[in-house]
Amino acid sequence: MSRAIPLSYSLRSVFQRRTRALLTVVVMALVVLAVTVMLSLVSGIRRTLVATGEADNLIIIRKGATNDGSSMLPIEAYRAVAYFPGIASGADGEPLVSPEMVIQPFFYRPDGGRENVLVRGVRPVAFAVHRNVHIREGRAPRSSSGEAAVGRAVAARYAVRLGGDVRFGRRVWKVVGILEAGGSSFESEVWVDVNDLWNDANRSIYNGLRVKVAPGSDPQVLVRRVAADPRWTLEAKPEIDYYREQADSANFLFRLTLALGLIMGIGASFGAMNTMFAAVKSRTAEIGTLRALGFSRRSILISFVTEALAIALAGFAVGVLMAIATTLGINALMKGVAINLMTFTTATVDLRVSATSALQVLLLATLLGLAGGFLPARHAARLSPVEALRRR
Amino acid sequence: MIRLLNVSRHFQRGPDVVRALDHVTLTIPDGRFAALMGPSGSGKSTLLNLLSGIDRPDEGEVEVAGRRLTGLSEDELAAWRARHVGLVFQFYNLIPVLSARENVELPLLLTDLRGPERRRRAEVALEVVGLVQERFDQLPGTLSGGEQQRVAIARAIVTDPDLIVADEPTGDLDAQSADAVLALLSELNREFHKAIVLVTHDLRALRWVDEVHHLDKGRLLAGDEALRASETLEQALGTARRHAKVKP
Amino acid sequence: MNYRTLVSRNFSRGRLRTVLTAASIMLSIFLACAVLTLPSGLAALVERVTSGSRVLVHNKAGLSYMMPYSYLQKVRAVPGVTAATSFSWFGGIYDEPKNLFPNFAIDADAVGDIWAEFQIDPQAIADFRRYRDGALVGYQTMRKFRWKIGDRVTLRSTIWPVDLDFRIVGVLPEPHGNPMWFLFSRTYMEEALRAKGLSADFAGMIWVRVDDPANVGTVMRRIDDLFRNSDAETASETEKSFFESFMSSLSGLSNVILAVGFLVAAAVVVITANTCSMAIRERAPEIAILKALGFRRFTILGLLLTETLTLALGSGVIGAVAAYGVLKLLAALGATGARPGLGPLSMFLVTPWHVLEGILLSLVVGVVAGVVPSWGAARKPVAEALREVF
Repeated sequence: MSRAIPLSYSLRSVFQRRTRALLTVVVMALVVLAVTVMLSLVSGIRRTLVATGEADNLIIIRKGATNDGSSMLPIEAYRAVAYFPGIASGADGEPLVSPEMVIQPFFYRPDGGRENVLVRGVRPVAFAVHRNVHIREGRAPRSSSGEAAVGRAVAARYAVRLGGDVRFGRRVWKVVGILEAGGSSFESEVWVDVNDLWNDANRSIYNGLRVKVAPGSDPQVLVRRVAADPRWTLEAKPEIDYYREQADSANFLFRLTLALGLIMGIGASFGAMNTMFAAVKSRTAEIGTLRALGFSRRSILISFVTEALAIALAGFAVGVLMAIATTLGINALMKGVAINLMTFTTATVDLRVSATSALQVLLLATLLGLAGGFLPARHAARLSPVEALRRR
Repeated sequence: MIRLLNVSRHFQRGPDVVRALDHVTLTIPDGRFAALMGPSGSGKSTLLNLLSGIDRPDEGEVEVAGRRLTGLSEDELAAWRARHVGLVFQFYNLIPVLSARENVELPLLLTDLRGPERRRRAEVALEVVGLVQERFDQLPGTLSGGEQQRVAIARAIVTDPDLIVADEPTGDLDAQSADAVLALLSELNREFHKAIVLVTHDLRALRWVDEVHHLDKGRLLAGDEALRASETLEQALGTARRHAKVKP
Repeated sequence: MNYRTLVSRNFSRGRLRTVLTAASIMLSIFLACAVLTLPSGLAALVERVTSGSRVLVHNKAGLSYMMPYSYLQKVRAVPGVTAATSFSWFGGIYDEPKNLFPNFAIDADAVGDIWAEFQIDPQAIADFRRYRDGALVGYQTMRKFRWKIGDRVTLRSTIWPVDLDFRIVGVLPEPHGNPMWFLFSRTYMEEALRAKGLSADFAGMIWVRVDDPANVGTVMRRIDDLFRNSDAETASETEKSFFESFMSSLSGLSNVILAVGFLVAAAVVVITANTCSMAIRERAPEIAILKALGFRRFTILGLLLTETLTLALGSGVIGAVAAYGVLKLLAALGATGARPGLGPLSMFLVTPWHVLEGILLSLVVGVVAGVVPSWGAARKPVAEALREVF
């Protein structure tokens, strides 16, 4: 017969030495807070970049280019590609191929700081190809009218209003629309008519094409066709893959967060171990009594491990709540965190504690609790009842 | 000479006020070996604390070896104790990470003596209390209870104080060690003219001390009460001796 | 036996607890050190590579807006300008798209003057002038691809439909040379573009060397005045300000990481305070006895704080020095190309100053964590302390 020590005993014992337990919970909470905030940054970056891609879109840029800001596409290439089979057609029967020019003019923050913002010169077809980009307020810019549709994050970061003016490049533009795109990096862009941009930049080129694949068609056929064409060195890539590659900076940050979480976590579990060892020591007589009463070693082990887990989980709960509050605060005050994209332009990332992040941190907290509690629990379980009761 | 004049001391224990000492007047002449006895909670330890400069009374005057203790601050009392009082407790006397010799040197850190001199004096004190040389460098954990108390006594005399104060020094010891400790204290009193005040439950002490003061519920017993208390104790001692003789 | 003995002996007590606490402090200071390097790491990088005599001229609208190549002659004629070169992004990749490093077309005759601080080998400069297809490469890029002087490399441009074959004639050497740049002659690119029927009449940026740093402001104004109200208005800025604006948008990220670093420090204070109070509570009887023996409360406070500080400082030193060593190692691995993924880690430049900051932090941790329990234990009147024990 092996009776288990009741859970209520374990829980009550933990909080018997209130200050000590509380301090350990605080440490866990701080670790959880730090790691969760970092993870929310990572997932924010990933969400911003990966979400930018549409499942049925391809991006066509010069072979070897890593982003559409650093590529160039001859006009003939555009004309040829537009008639490749496998491309979807719009309501007017025209192929859904959006030729785009990208440039990175200076924008100035209200505090005077200077950043590069991605301005995309497009034709009206762009809105049909980029179906995840919507005009939230106002309308799309008309051709050759000096109008601009500004992404939501750009409007916030550079204090630009619908109906107002915005100065970039060599001229002043009228803001006729605000773009919204599900939190993706398009919200950190400004879209204008491509003819206007050609004039402003004094260059009439396209940097790349966005193509919508016809429903039911295999995108890889198109990819191969583009790659095989001897006239130009181009490559076509599904947008999702393209943006996933852009999220490289997030990977570095993720690895950094892992390292941080681990190091901090080990430090915290040492602290927890200390507390648990002290708890075991001060309750030696109690343990002896339990053993004398007939509770097995195993039940003692489980009881103490449970205590450690309780502390860890309490820390997790507090830490996650603090993290949510912190991310909300950062988003409100700093209007998100700015990161530099591979296009050398600035994008704003909203911090959000995702369910995945929370689960990952829960796992971490559990592991830390187990790690911190196991050795002391084992030590407690190994005490012989006679010795334990003898010690004052 | 120890003089307590009308001292009172009370403590807050939760919602209640406990009168540990109630208008106690006591004089102990120089060079005496005195015992304070009485039941649990009678105030003997409190009284001891007052006359050794550890505590200050709420009312009354305390004068020890010509020095008025009542007006002194916490730090001044500390300095006075370091010079004039040697302390022995029932347990926890010795610092576990220091050797016997080092424990005895401890009070000398508060003097101007230099390292080698401190060491020498500590060794002298240890010899006086009869600890064997091999034990000098051992940690308290490896010493017996009796040996530990010897070391504690050595520490109490190393500064050559006027007064030695001991709070239940034999409480944790077996009979043989207890006797040895009491004998040692008596020797210190007779040969080295140290005044000693002992708080104890131990009836054996009656054999060694010059005078006994009885306390009960914070009051010093005097006159008839004191006599009766003494008689009770003597009877108990006699009984104990008789029982000791009747051993199979 | 003296006061020092008292402090040091106490470390042998509760060894496990001491080790665990020391380990958490070590780890946390390691982390804190790494984080502390961030803001100054970037600033230091800027300091190392920039000069007070160099000015960058670019189109006022942005770096990706071009200027006419004819601007170069006009800029060279401005009083106070000792040398100038065009500087145009080529966007070339070597072998694989992942192999990104900045490559620029410049005017071959000016390189030695504009970037005198780089201390490029004079022979390399001469060869660069002599060979149209010559290239000068930064030391880190050289290491990354294990190139040697004399090697031939091909770069495929992503923004122009041309591939160019180069001969490496020299290095931009450590420590002052730009570690990553790949510089080649503009004439070479111009020929290739013309062959494709494309115009080469542009300059992406213009680097200018000014005779005296004190004149920089005046020269910049003169240059911008020259092109005001033209089709391509210019904005000149000092090299330092250019790099700084590059880094300024990273400040948000860097702030988040710094905040995390503070959390780490806070956590370690709590851990240490917890340990401290446990240790002190355990020694209550001893502390009471010391007080009874006549040791003043101030002395006891000193003893307790010294113990905590020694532990904190000792662990902190190890953690800080470890941060120095480990990050330097990682950065070196990243630089040599052995593990290029670690490249960004080189912005965590740990300097001896950071080690010092980390050590100071551990000192603060020791004081803050230790002071409350130590103070509480020390100031208790001796009679009360004894009563609690016995």
